[in-house]
Amino acid sequence: MNADLRTTAVPTVVLLARVWRFMLFAGLLAVVMAGCATPPPADDPDAVAEFKQTNDPLEPTNRVFYDINNGLDTVILRPAAQGYRFVVPGPVRTGIHNVLTNLNTPVQLSNDVMQGKPRRAGDTTMRFLINTTVGVAGIFDVATGWGYPNHDTDFGLTLANWGVPEGPFLFLPVLGPSNPRDAVGFGVDIAQDPFTWVGNSTAATVFNWTRYGLNALDSRERYLDPVDQIKKTALDPYATFRSLYRQHRQGDTKALRDDNRATIPVWFPQAPADAAAVRNR
Amino acid sequence: MFERRMFLLAGLGAMPLLTAVPALADTNGDRAIAFIKSTSDMILGAMRRTGSTEERRKVLGPIIDKSLDVDGLARFCLGRFWRTATPDQQQRYTAVFHQVLIGNITAKLGEYQDVRLTIGRSKSQDDVEMVSSVVEHPNNPPTTVEWAVADAASDPKVIDVVAEGTSLRLTQRQDYASYLTHNDSNVDKLIDAMRQQLTQ
Repeated sequence: MNADLRTTAVPTVVLLARVWRFMLFAGLLAVVMAGCATPPPADDPDAVAEFKQTNDPLEPTNRVFYDINNGLDTVILRPAAQGYRFVVPGPVRTGIHNVLTNLNTPVQLSNDVMQGKPRRAGDTTMRFLINTTVGVAGIFDVATGWGYPNHDTDFGLTLANWGVPEGPFLFLPVLGPSNPRDAVGFGVDIAQDPFTWVGNSTAATVFNWTRYGLNALDSRERYLDPVDQIKKTALDPYATFRSLYRQHRQGDTKALRDDNRATIPVWFPQAPADAAAVRNR
Repeated sequence: MFERRMFLLAGLGAMPLLTAVPALADTNGDRAIAFIKSTSDMILGAMRRTGSTEERRKVLGPIIDKSLDVDGLARFCLGRFWRTATPDQQQRYTAVFHQVLIGNITAKLGEYQDVRLTIGRSKSQDDVEMVSSVVEHPNNPPTTVEWAVADAASDPKVIDVVAEGTSLRLTQRQDYASYLTHNDSNVDKLIDAMRQQLTQ
């Protein structure tokens, strides 16, 4: 069994390393060839305002990566996600999604705490405790029904909550739409994930890559219809994805900032304002 | 002294107004909620009754015309290019925008069979009522959708739909703006591209 795992795991890692090296090379080539976007002439204030608002000075380079990603998606990820949807029944996919979400709770909790959001941290902790036990290792999301809904969060949002600006839009190889802040966040989230550090045994490597692979399949499967729809209806899909990504992140940041639920239990004597807030909830 | 009394009188005069404002806002909010409720019932009912895309387009067209500010949306989506477009271009663009919008909404709704909409509260933002709702459909996490309703008091119309923090009209505007920027800011080319979409 162990030998089997080793033979399948090692080539995958090597292959991925090769893909990365190729992407890096392609990226450098793209940067050299495409460069930066030309700002519109200063005598057209509307165009200048739009250029600033879009915040995409590296647009030509980003578009090259968008095309590369789009190509990879068309031949690899999209068919894989379609196959996944075809082969695996809906309830099983939901179970897999729930397990993956549950495995992400340590990172989520760490970010909730760093964001200074005790109620969110409480939700995350309760979700982990309930879903890991009653929900059978996270397969069933019991916690949502018990009043502990899930929320998306990551270190990019933590930085946003600390007031770090998003920076220029980036379209990254493999990872897709991003910006310097969220790209750093992505790296920090991998670093603060306990599963990254469970040791370098073959089993751990296989576990982690299986998890990354399933995560990619799961999220791509969930976006199959919306992405197809956007590609069909948008005149410039790149610009549409850029707009959606930036608005979505801004919306998440706002929701995070506005989430100031009281931490005092309902039965505890409360300040009038808090009591009113609890009543209105 | 006189001035102070005037000030006081003016203040007293304004008091009923001040108390009336929240009440007015409340009724506007309620009106907006009722409007979204009846419109969504109509749309979901039409979706259930009809089967083919062509049939849906026919039934949904009038509902969309009645409940959405289509001309205003068209204008917003063209953004700064609206001013540089000729009246003829504006007219042709608005006509084709109309058809594209109905097509897109029909296709989008087609994805969401057995959808359930729970309407929440409304809050005023400037002159617009933002009605919040939660959209649920099987095997997907619930989505929060906000409906921006203008003129709630007299002639309510939806002017934007904000799904999970992403505004539909803003996304559309940025799509068109990017297309135009890469096509010599030529509105005719945009109209052609939109027509192209319709034939697909």
